[in-house]
Amino acid sequence: MILVKDLAKTYGGDVPTQALKGVSFNVAEGEFIAIMGRSGSGKSTLLHQLGLLDVPTSGEIVINENNVLSLSEKEKTFFRLNELGYVFQEYALLPELTALETVYLPLMMRGIEKKAYIKRASEVLEKVGLQDRLNHLPHELSGGEQQRVAIARAIVNNPKILFADEPCANLDSESSETILNLLKDLNGDLGQTIVMVTHEPEDRKYVDRVIWLKDGLIEKEDK
Amino acid sequence: MFNFNSLRISFFLAKKSISKGNKSTIALTILIMALAYINLVFISSILMGILRTMDTQAVNNQFANIVIEPEEDETYIKQVRSIQAKINSIPGVIGSSAHYTGGAVFSFDKDKDGKNVKSQSFQFKSISPDEESKVTDISKSVTIGNYLEESDRDKILIGKEISGKYGSNMESVSLGADVGDKITLTFKNGVQREYEVKGIFMSKYIDTDIIAFITKKEMESVLNQSDRASEIIVKIKDTGNETHYINEIRKLGITKEKIKPWQDYMGMSKSLSESLSTIRFMISMIGLVVAGITIFIVIFISVINKKKQIGILKAIGMEEKIIIKSYVIQALFYSVCGVGMGLLITYFTIIPYFEKNPLDFPMGPVSLVATSQDLAVNMFSLIIAAIIAGFIPAWQVTKEDIVKAIWGAQ
Repeated sequence: MILVKDLAKTYGGDVPTQALKGVSFNVAEGEFIAIMGRSGSGKSTLLHQLGLLDVPTSGEIVINENNVLSLSEKEKTFFRLNELGYVFQEYALLPELTALETVYLPLMMRGIEKKAYIKRASEVLEKVGLQDRLNHLPHELSGGEQQRVAIARAIVNNPKILFADEPCANLDSESSETILNLLKDLNGDLGQTIVMVTHEPEDRKYVDRVIWLKDGLIEKEDK
Repeated sequence: MFNFNSLRISFFLAKKSISKGNKSTIALTILIMALAYINLVFISSILMGILRTMDTQAVNNQFANIVIEPEEDETYIKQVRSIQAKINSIPGVIGSSAHYTGGAVFSFDKDKDGKNVKSQSFQFKSISPDEESKVTDISKSVTIGNYLEESDRDKILIGKEISGKYGSNMESVSLGADVGDKITLTFKNGVQREYEVKGIFMSKYIDTDIIAFITKKEMESVLNQSDRASEIIVKIKDTGNETHYINEIRKLGITKEKIKPWQDYMGMSKSLSESLSTIRFMISMIGLVVAGITIFIVIFISVINKKKQIGILKAIGMEEKIIIKSYVIQALFYSVCGVGMGLLITYFTIIPYFEKNPLDFPMGPVSLVATSQDLAVNMFSLIIAAIIAGFIPAWQVTKEDIVKAIWGAQ
């Protein structure tokens, strides 16, 4: 499903920083993998490249047989909307949108009719356990609830791959467990392919495989 | 279909941003836009008001609508009574007034002892008081003393600038004479006569307030002339339609005399009018730029504060043009509301106020003149400026990398 080959990323500036130094790995369809490593190892940078949020310096990323790096900006935007879901570390919700509005926004962007997108968004919010929080604004929700809204937004378009960038970093242990169980259920029940960046060693129990990064290179992979 | 959808989303985002945004900030932004609009309209309207006043004053106090002058190489128009009778018979003509015009040395011995006689040259006109009152507003402008009567022979009506009293602006050249004082006029033909000041008029039009009037009968005796005039001025019902009346006058056989509309005598004010138009344009441009910068700053601050959100919207697959349009719609909202508020304040507060309390300018009382065209041009200019000012910061930020927008520089 995902093929990454010799992926490198160097940030410019007075002192150029090589965040990724040639990373290669594959992700199979329906797999739940974690990318782990110390702070500064390049895990978030790797996820930004995979999620088409950034442009790598060199290398290749193939998703569903599409060489995504050769896509135009407009095609990448379309690809992100239709094929990928992205969960950010800090919830990343728009403060003026309710939970329901946040979740149906990607459906609106696909031109779906109002009745249909409200129905679908409500269903997805129910799936993440927020059926009673549809009309709440972000500041009226707890951190865990906000992250569940973010997950609902990421999966509402049935993406092929869900990327999650340290989704539990700002949550307490109870909320973290809820989120990780939710991701595990999505993976188990729906066969959702998930690539998650985490720095918590105990998160390993939820995933099929762990890719360990160190200094911009893959250090090891384990199950 | 797709474009409609992107517009729908832009509206959705703009609506949410406005309805859930800080109400005080929104109110302040709209107020700033309203003030920017009022500023544009106000300055422009004052300048228009000055031009309008100059024109109105010239028509009402000096030239009426049409001026007839002697044919080339002649000093006077002949058979004036016959010409006036013909002109007055034209439908739409309110009246005509024949003048002898000229200059004379006015002398005033305030202490009547021959020691401090003040002499100064001024222009004068002779009038038939009844005819003149149909054509100009001089009779209504007499504020001290009385207007002339047909039978008056040794009476003179002087403007406040000749008198030098009652708020005169030209005291250094004026005589200092009041109603009841005696003034001696020395005409160009050497005739010298004494007149009692019967009244002082204040038309608030400086070109008129610096001349004097005596009766036609008196002037004909000074000149030893009859049925002649240096000029005939004609008042019509519909100002602006002078060309039609000039043609009608010519059809009556008055072909040799020079016949001109009042605008032809507005040489100085014409150049002033052109200068004021340039000033109006420059002030309007500066006002527009200031208003544009204001909305730019408002939108720029909003965009900078929402930079991360813009990055997130792009990350979840939203097209840049949808985001830009949502900010343009917000700018449109602020400007339309601001302009609307400005329009209401202008129409229902500022214009009525200045109609009741006109500004006192040397050329007369000036109130605001705001034409629908001016209001509309300023309205659309401001809205377009706001759209451009809303577009630029939104375009700049949406062009940034997603990672940089969400997490800052890396």
